[in-house]
Amino acid sequence: MRKWIARLAALGVALLVAGQGATAAHAQEPAAGKKVLRVGATQSMDSMNPFLAVRLVSTSIHRWMYGFLTVPDSKTLQPSADLAESWTTSPDGLTWTFKIRATKWSDGKPVTADDAAWTFNKIMTDEAAKTANGPAVENFESVTASGQDLTIKLKSPQASMLDNPIPIMPKHVWESVTDMANYDAEKYPAVTSGPYIAIEHKKDQYVKLQANPNYWRGKPKIDELQVIFYDNPQAAVAGLKNGDIDLLGRMNPPEFQAIQNDPNIEAWNTQGRRAAYLQINHGATTTDDKPVGDGHPALKDVKVRQALHYAIDKQKLVAEVQNGLAKPADGSIIPPMYKDFFWEATGDEKVTYDPAKANKILDDAGYKKGSDGVRTMPDGKRKLEFRFSIHTDTPIEDKLAEYLTGFFKEIGITLTTKKLDSSKFTEETGVTGLFDIAISGWSVNPDPEEVLATHLCSRRPAPGGEGGGTESFFCDETFEKLYKEQLQELDRPKRAETIKKMQERLYTEAPVIAIYYNNDLEGYRKDRITSITPIPEDKGLLYGGSGYWPFYTVDVKAAAASGGSGGGGSNTGLIAGIVGGVVVLGLAGFLLSRRRKSVADERE
Amino acid sequence: MTTPLEAAEPAVQAAGPGDERSTGRGTLQYALSKAGGALFSIAMVIVGTFFVFRLLPGDPVRNLAQGRNMTPDQLNLERHRLGLDKPVLQQFFDFVGNTLRLDLGTSYEYKRPVLDLIGERIGPTLLLAGTGLVIAVSLGIWQGTRSGWRPGTRFDRFSTGVSLVLWSVPTFWLGLLLMMVLGVGIGPIPGLFPFRGIESVDAPDGFAYVLDVASHMVLPCLTLVGVVYAQYLLIMRSSLLEEVSQDYVTVARAKGLRDDEVRRRHAVPNALLPTVTLVFMRIGFVVGGAVTVETIYTWPGLGQLFYRAIKVPDFTLMQGTFLLITVSVIVMNTLADVVYHMLDPRVRSA
Repeated sequence: MRKWIARLAALGVALLVAGQGATAAHAQEPAAGKKVLRVGATQSMDSMNPFLAVRLVSTSIHRWMYGFLTVPDSKTLQPSADLAESWTTSPDGLTWTFKIRATKWSDGKPVTADDAAWTFNKIMTDEAAKTANGPAVENFESVTASGQDLTIKLKSPQASMLDNPIPIMPKHVWESVTDMANYDAEKYPAVTSGPYIAIEHKKDQYVKLQANPNYWRGKPKIDELQVIFYDNPQAAVAGLKNGDIDLLGRMNPPEFQAIQNDPNIEAWNTQGRRAAYLQINHGATTTDDKPVGDGHPALKDVKVRQALHYAIDKQKLVAEVQNGLAKPADGSIIPPMYKDFFWEATGDEKVTYDPAKANKILDDAGYKKGSDGVRTMPDGKRKLEFRFSIHTDTPIEDKLAEYLTGFFKEIGITLTTKKLDSSKFTEETGVTGLFDIAISGWSVNPDPEEVLATHLCSRRPAPGGEGGGTESFFCDETFEKLYKEQLQELDRPKRAETIKKMQERLYTEAPVIAIYYNNDLEGYRKDRITSITPIPEDKGLLYGGSGYWPFYTVDVKAAAASGGSGGGGSNTGLIAGIVGGVVVLGLAGFLLSRRRKSVADERE
Repeated sequence: MTTPLEAAEPAVQAAGPGDERSTGRGTLQYALSKAGGALFSIAMVIVGTFFVFRLLPGDPVRNLAQGRNMTPDQLNLERHRLGLDKPVLQQFFDFVGNTLRLDLGTSYEYKRPVLDLIGERIGPTLLLAGTGLVIAVSLGIWQGTRSGWRPGTRFDRFSTGVSLVLWSVPTFWLGLLLMMVLGVGIGPIPGLFPFRGIESVDAPDGFAYVLDVASHMVLPCLTLVGVVYAQYLLIMRSSLLEEVSQDYVTVARAKGLRDDEVRRRHAVPNALLPTVTLVFMRIGFVVGGAVTVETIYTWPGLGQLFYRAIKVPDFTLMQGTFLLITVSVIVMNTLADVVYHMLDPRVRSA
């Protein structure tokens, strides 16, 4: 009898292997002749409702679905026409008039200025609708529509008006929504005015988007765009290698290196829109200047912060923490890909790795080294022992912490690592100020206003210790003045100069220390994607870019006619299923018969 | 009830299939008292859940803001929406009342009733973890029996070795390894099975759909079986080893029964008892899902839901899934007690 089981199992395994070997592919291919692009994502949608969605993947998908007033130009990244075909500004910079394009919603109804006015007014008046883009309308006095003309009156001039992050929503569909906070917009097909229409969403599994035939630039080249969610990045990389997905963005260096030598995959490595930096608790306060948190007092001294800066070997960090896939930062929070706004330190101002200089700065400032090699405050009360807050689940930050601990030890400063889960991290480093040094980083938009604003006095937590949106608890008169200046400057080159001065201020005051600019690491299947235009067009970004340009221009090979690898999927499944079933049934039957037999034996 | 004599030689009685000596009343009484205990535990769990989740770090509202610039007004509005602005005692009574009415609240993250979400996710979890459990238990008991009956043989050394290695391997690592080898393929070996989700994105209909799901189940199921079956094998093996040295086995052999028969009819049924308990306890955990396995393979079950709830953190969803898991463990433990009571006269006499 035992032999029988073995034979049955062997048969099963043999059949299984034979069946699988013949037809390797198992991914279900779309209908023949249809052009489908499958994009992998490792973050799931928080909401299909653009008034609520804040995650990067959600806002990207919404950028592919909805029209905005303007989009970054695919070459220069400067604002260019989208739903607004043209615009004028009053001489005082307070009144903006946009001419809304005469185009159609995906349900055939005309797009009017009324739709845009409704969208902005909704965010201005409904607290729940403010969730995603509240700050973008803070400076709006009123928004009115007349025919195709949209008039926005501002409280004070605002140069970033043309980088408005709010998608224009169809009033006729959305005005019936009464409870915005609990409305997830899971109605398909969605009514949109951008290149794609969402037609299906399975939470945490996938989103399917169809090309919009009514799109004003013309229908995209592909028929369907699928965003496929993975819970773990390794599975997504495996999916790309396997051909289950065609494109994957936002990779970490180790994942990227795993696809680099694959002949079917184009490894896309370009300058990114992200800066990684250390935020330093230089005396966290609320908006009424009351101290909060327990930051180390030594960090209030700008000399200590500068000494830390001199002690960091950024080249080494790039080479060994980021595996060479980043650029050492000699500037501040705006990465070099934004050529217009990027600022880089030069001459005496430039901080290069120089532990001797760092030691000298600290010696001169009276931070004496004790017998254990650790410095103390000039008053001798506290040692220079700082905590470094990082996230629990990011191995790269662990590595970074190791290196920084080594660097700071050289200058008599002890660094201990404090791992926090992301919610606690956000709270301690952004609101309660319970940290000394913390890892940070932002993805910067083509208009850098928002990332600059995170260093404003007003972004600190309110007197009750609540709210805000500060990056560093920074509050600096010079910085505030420059911020106001750039906001009112409608001349782009002049504005860029002011923005550079702001970065210089951040560099010298060092409430944050930029360590490197992460490269944008992506990969796509060469055998599937026939053309795709990055943004900006000269070696820019794909998935991680701003606007819909890469996903509007992308073209893929149409699915093969039936009988291709796709057919194999169901065959494989069929064989596996049948074999599995036979084995299980056989086993069950066998065991049951043995049992019966033994029972019968006993009864006899 | 059982006499001491019978208790001293329980195995033979327990093994007899026609043995119907367990009086219905005794078992019922026992079951009722156990159920009472279980109800008390569940009540304690409900109370405990509320406070435990209030002690966890992370303010859900601040966290929903995700570092965005939110005014205190907006934060307060969110708090109000989530009922977090009420006094704690009020929140507690609301929570208990709602839980008793099976209203587990609305998820912060999904903005939908937690019970609906659990309802949606429980199917995939039962499918995956249930299948995994059945395979692991059958495989474990079969291999454990063979190993325990003839300890020290090549088969014994091999299967204990393999199972111990699999048992000590981190689930995550095993999952990734299987994904690389059987999902992507290595060298000339092509990828065989899908490794994401429960179905293809363009899933077919009808019978083909069943097969599609079946092929998606292979890798997560293998991983799950790989890491859990060792415990059944080892328990079965060790308890069989213990039985083998018992007098009744010698007696049975002395009676001239075939070795095979002694094993199947006398030793194995007795040795099964600890395994039965383990199986029942495991069923309780099945509801919680194999969190790691579901996360590796993006399997849309309760484990994935729980993982996401912790990541946000989504208090209501965490409470809901946590309650479900603990209650099912309690229920299954109680059931295990009752079944054990029916199977083993020693428990009955106690």
